[in-house]
Amino acid sequence: MTFHDGFLSEMIGRKAVVDTAGRRLAVGRITDFVVEHPDDTFPKIDALVIKSSSGKHLAPIGSIVDFESDGKLILRDVPSRVAPPDDEALYLVEDLFDKQIVDVDGRKVVRINDIEVARTGGALRVVAADIGFGGIVRRLGGGSLGRNLVDRLPRALIAWDNVAPLHDLNPTQIQLSVSDSRLARLHPSDLAEIIGDLSARDAARVVASLDDETAADALEHLDAETQRSIIDDLGHERAADIIEEMDSDDAADLLGDLPPEQQERLLREMDAATAEDLRELVAYDESTAGGLMTTDYMWIYPHRTVAATIAKIRDLAPETEFIYYLYVTDETEKLLGVLSLRTLLLSAPDDLIHTVMESDVVSVLPDVKATEVASTIARYDLLACPVLDEEGKMLGIVTVDDAIDAIIPERLKKQLPRFTKRHRHERIEHV
Amino acid sequence: MNIRRWWRRALILFAVLGPGFVTASAGNDVGGIATYSAAGAKFGYIVLWTLVPLTVSLIVVQEMAGRMGAVTGQGLAGLIRENFGIRLTFIAMAALFFINTGITATEFAGIAAWAQILNLSRYIVVPLATVVVFLLVLRLSNKIVERVFVVFSLIYLSYVVSGIEAKPDWGAVVHGTLVPAFSPEAGFLVTVVGLIGTTISPYMQFFLQSAVVDKGSGPRDLFNVRADIVVGSFLGIVIAGFMIIANAATIHHASLISHKPPLDIDSAQAVDFALALQPLAGKFAADLFAFGILNAGLFTATVLPLATAFIICEAFGLEAAVDRRWSEAPFFYGLFASSIVLGAGLVLLLPADKLFAFTFYAQVMQGAVLPLELVLMLIIINRKRVMGKYVNTRTVNIIAWATAIVIGGLAIVYVVQSIFGLGGS
Repeated sequence: MTFHDGFLSEMIGRKAVVDTAGRRLAVGRITDFVVEHPDDTFPKIDALVIKSSSGKHLAPIGSIVDFESDGKLILRDVPSRVAPPDDEALYLVEDLFDKQIVDVDGRKVVRINDIEVARTGGALRVVAADIGFGGIVRRLGGGSLGRNLVDRLPRALIAWDNVAPLHDLNPTQIQLSVSDSRLARLHPSDLAEIIGDLSARDAARVVASLDDETAADALEHLDAETQRSIIDDLGHERAADIIEEMDSDDAADLLGDLPPEQQERLLREMDAATAEDLRELVAYDESTAGGLMTTDYMWIYPHRTVAATIAKIRDLAPETEFIYYLYVTDETEKLLGVLSLRTLLLSAPDDLIHTVMESDVVSVLPDVKATEVASTIARYDLLACPVLDEEGKMLGIVTVDDAIDAIIPERLKKQLPRFTKRHRHERIEHV
Repeated sequence: MNIRRWWRRALILFAVLGPGFVTASAGNDVGGIATYSAAGAKFGYIVLWTLVPLTVSLIVVQEMAGRMGAVTGQGLAGLIRENFGIRLTFIAMAALFFINTGITATEFAGIAAWAQILNLSRYIVVPLATVVVFLLVLRLSNKIVERVFVVFSLIYLSYVVSGIEAKPDWGAVVHGTLVPAFSPEAGFLVTVVGLIGTTISPYMQFFLQSAVVDKGSGPRDLFNVRADIVVGSFLGIVIAGFMIIANAATIHHASLISHKPPLDIDSAQAVDFALALQPLAGKFAADLFAFGILNAGLFTATVLPLATAFIICEAFGLEAAVDRRWSEAPFFYGLFASSIVLGAGLVLLLPADKLFAFTFYAQVMQGAVLPLELVLMLIIINRKRVMGKYVNTRTVNIIAWATAIVIGGLAIVYVVQSIFGLGGS
């Protein structure tokens, strides 16, 4: 077999012949390529689809004798296996050409113009998706002029391990298993931006394919309307699982936007403690400290030692997002003081917490406006600001990122990706 | 009156105006004014009935586009690509570019007509207008530009007032609207095809569907999408109707009384149709008319090349965004710029006295192409794997197919007629 590395578009339409005792019998033309294990990183092409007047038949890769330089495909025998229906196999041309995929590396939704294949380890494998103008010119033909043009154009190829299809590659499986792991590599806010670009159906499908934690992270970055439509499509059980994984302030915002019956049904699916916290948070106005705060913070008793506290952080940190400040409370949850992770690390292991903590704490009441919380955080250079009730009992904290989110105009947020993109590229190069 | 409060309220109002309304405003472009005016001036009230089936077709066709956008989250160009492959997409996009550039030229022709009425040279005004268009797109947010022009579109209401002031024969208006009639005069058929083409312009479906997608509307928002389309379509048609009435009551009426030969489209000038605004504006009719076409021309000359570039880039998966630099989106800016420059250039090359006829026949061309677009839309929208449970109902299919077949038939008859010299204007 003398397959060259190249593009599928260059093979489509070529004549297939069978060589029997020096006589060549035309059996049809190449129209498509079948992949049996699309979940592989670089999936192997198992057969070519040969179309003739009698229908579409499969020519297994093994039956290929030669691919001649003049373009004829020589087969050992006449293809006889009837091509399986579309929902039982992945057809590269039928199912992927012209379709949208997520470019995990470039973090955007793109369209496949052509597919690059390469011979590796004795098999013909799919290696990259061509999303550039060159792929279009190649497929449109255009003779030598077209080929000259293609050579001059910058190539735009996405390695196949960075390709996450939006539609299911393997129809017998319900989940998009390939896309799942590949999409999970994206930063949640990038993933959210991609999800926001999809149709409601695709968005729900992509979110459903993610694990609860990734889905929760992505959901946190979506706008309320998209969140709602996805939650509606996911079904209660799954939706509740994902909302449980979200930061409590974001989860409460989401629940607050839902009709009361749906809110109740979702809360009942969750575990009792989380549901209780969320119920309290939902009651606050979204534009106040109560609405912005999360109940997910680190608290400790004043008589503990520094060493024991560090051990506790190690224990709880995986569950808690914000660990940079520790809030010291008594048994009634009254706030006594605060200390930063920095202070903690710089203190002697045997020191008692109440000797190293800062007892003069800046805090806000839950009905304080979002803008005021933000300016409090800015004025005192805080990473988070505790929210206390009238008796000084700890209700939650507002973190600096949520405070920024609450005061930045919507218009400005949309402009952000332009500046952050280049920055992220640098980060990748350093890795 | 507190101006700032008024302005705020106006802004809120336009924030709720959806894609359907904006599309309808963009649809009342220079070609629209030209075609409705010519139809009313030449044939009088008897063409009014065509607006009735046109309203039904317009709403059905635009609803299909809106529904496709809401359900698939993709523009029409993307769906054509996914469903028909790259060759047909290439042909469709080439046709779209060709036609939209032609329509852009008609917008510049409107601007040239404005210049003519004000005694300015079009060789200065049209190039200046291209600069203005570039600046509007590159310096201002699309939404702001859209809203400003939509506000100025209120000027079309002057046709409503003028149509009433002209004291038309209301009996004839009602009769003309409800009773289908055909004129034996030459040019009736081509006028009908032009009316269709300018009312349901092929680009409007692309534009509307992309706007629905852009707005993030999903299947849940279908009610709003539809309401917006119905309201926008009705408003557009009502204004079109009054343009016809105002022209019928003035220009057509005058030609009947004086036994002058009916208007000849091939030699008509835009300024001739300013007469229709005389009952309202008196001696300022020409100025009002001029301002109307200037606004229509600038608006659509800004929106259309931009939309064309977006649509084609969507079809081929190329980078497209106004906030990208030229080097980041070369195809996008290239398409955008060439559509404007070619359109404006065409207007400067054509003889001044043929600009009106050019504008009119461009609408006829849109009418002739519309059936092809409808067939593509109908095939896609009836595919279950694309639309799920939102495929067309039988009623919608019947109306849409009937629209495609009737318009296709008319276009073919017109072509045959012109070839054998049986009619034409």
